[in-house]
Amino acid sequence: MGRQFYLDLAAGGLCMPIGTDLVMHEESEPEKVRKDGSALARVIERAARRWGTPLAVPLMDLILEKIDLLALAAVSEADAETFHFAAPLDETMLAKLCGEQAEPLCAGSRARNEALAYISTQTDLVPIGMAIGPFSLVTRLLADPITMVAMAGSGLDEEDSEEGKLLWQCLCISEAAVLRSVRSQIAHGAKAIMVCEPAASRAFISPRQLKAGSNLFERLVMEPNLRLKAALDSAGCDFIFHDCGELIDPMVEAFAHRLHPVMLSLGCSRNLWEDARLAPKDVVLYGNLPSKSFYSDGAMPVEEVVRRTEELVEKMKTCSHPCIVGTECDVLFVPNAQDSIWKKVDAMMSCAAACCP
Amino acid sequence: MAQSKELYDAILNGDAKKAHAATQVALAAGVAPMTLISESMVPAMDEVGRLFEQEEYFVPELLLAGRAMKSSMELIRPLMIASGEKMAAKVVIGTVKGDLHDIGKNLVASMLEGGGFDVIDLGIDVSPEKFVTAVTEQDPQIVCMSALLTVTMPAMKTTIDALKSAGLRARVKVLIGGAPVSMQYAKEIGADGYSENANSAVGLVRTLLANA
Repeated sequence: MGRQFYLDLAAGGLCMPIGTDLVMHEESEPEKVRKDGSALARVIERAARRWGTPLAVPLMDLILEKIDLLALAAVSEADAETFHFAAPLDETMLAKLCGEQAEPLCAGSRARNEALAYISTQTDLVPIGMAIGPFSLVTRLLADPITMVAMAGSGLDEEDSEEGKLLWQCLCISEAAVLRSVRSQIAHGAKAIMVCEPAASRAFISPRQLKAGSNLFERLVMEPNLRLKAALDSAGCDFIFHDCGELIDPMVEAFAHRLHPVMLSLGCSRNLWEDARLAPKDVVLYGNLPSKSFYSDGAMPVEEVVRRTEELVEKMKTCSHPCIVGTECDVLFVPNAQDSIWKKVDAMMSCAAACCP
Repeated sequence: MAQSKELYDAILNGDAKKAHAATQVALAAGVAPMTLISESMVPAMDEVGRLFEQEEYFVPELLLAGRAMKSSMELIRPLMIASGEKMAAKVVIGTVKGDLHDIGKNLVASMLEGGGFDVIDLGIDVSPEKFVTAVTEQDPQIVCMSALLTVTMPAMKTTIDALKSAGLRARVKVLIGGAPVSMQYAKEIGADGYSENANSAVGLVRTLLANA
């Protein structure tokens, strides 16, 4: 689509949640939709129509790449979520996990691809793909990822130790898995990919270690994502970067300037109008109403959602940075709280529409 | 004051190998296990917590310190069991049913251990029945529940209800934590407390015990 497309959407006052999960839960059997390409496509299309956006955003289902990766190691889908590598991989397994696999193995990934193909060929919407970021996938492959990353960044552990070796192997296989996923999604029609790196945050990478000269953020986050971005660029696919983790300014700056996504989606720990100074003017900022709290009327009343939406719209206008008002992350279904959540999504949409007539 | 400066520093710096070695040296010199806990380990973890509050330390430093503390406890715990000594109080902790995330829960468990508590970790995907059984069998003063997902959060209320039904609710203080959880939610489901992060969980447990 190209960068200008997103800048025009921002200039036109687009507001939209990442809300496909919410719409999916209006179905009688939502969990079946995840694995049914045509049903998923209809849900994605309905979500986009509902919010009047040309962007057809799939579910933010960040387990799919892990399931597909582990399938190559003969780990079942049922065991994938809790599976962690405990020891370094042998060369044969490493080569296998880094190898080619044109089509994803799990039903959820295949459904996502089928939905992309439908959106791409049967609608006027922009088919957006979705993938976990390489570093965030690494953290899902290890039982104690923060400690392992912290050890690597502290100088307390040698890189050729068992733990150190496993960490870098996991980065290698994660990057390969994410690349396989995005290539497959592009082959099925994705015009942009939203890469989600919530673990690339100060919870996993210590600002103290960075200040002391650790290059972990560079090696674990930036380098693989720069290679991923290059792959998307060469395929003519737009790069959208999402990170709702707690970030420090240099991280935001690195994402905005060096990854240079068409859209940078941030969590509610950031003030977008302050982050505008950290981003080039051709990067649309997306977010970041506190949707993780929408389920609670006590913690996040409708009035507060309206206030924050107004504040965001006004302050982004003041700083003249392109922005699409939306949510800090995927707005997830919460049992018995759907009315509260919908009320707030609707309030955000109405308020933004009123502020940007 | 029988503080082992080496052990204190090793924990503060998150160096598990040095913590282990310093503990061996202190024990060989005749320092009592409980003295090592109360005069070196707990003060070190308190300082780690203080540095975290001041944003000089972050989650990775908390975990490294916890890891160092654990390597020390590996030597100390068997001696305490053998001598019949007990920790300050007992905490049962777990990630609620349906939720497979354990990073936050492990961090809280680690900080509580560092704070001198006896921590019974039930793991992930813990059913209300398993919490009830643990409270019955272990007789803890505190139950901590964690959830990362909005969809699994309601299991916290189900667990509290299960404790009530089993007649155990009054015996324990219940704390909750996790990304989607709030103080408001804690009040709504009848929990005794909510902690925003692992470090403040230690202070909250101490406060609840002091007020019990």
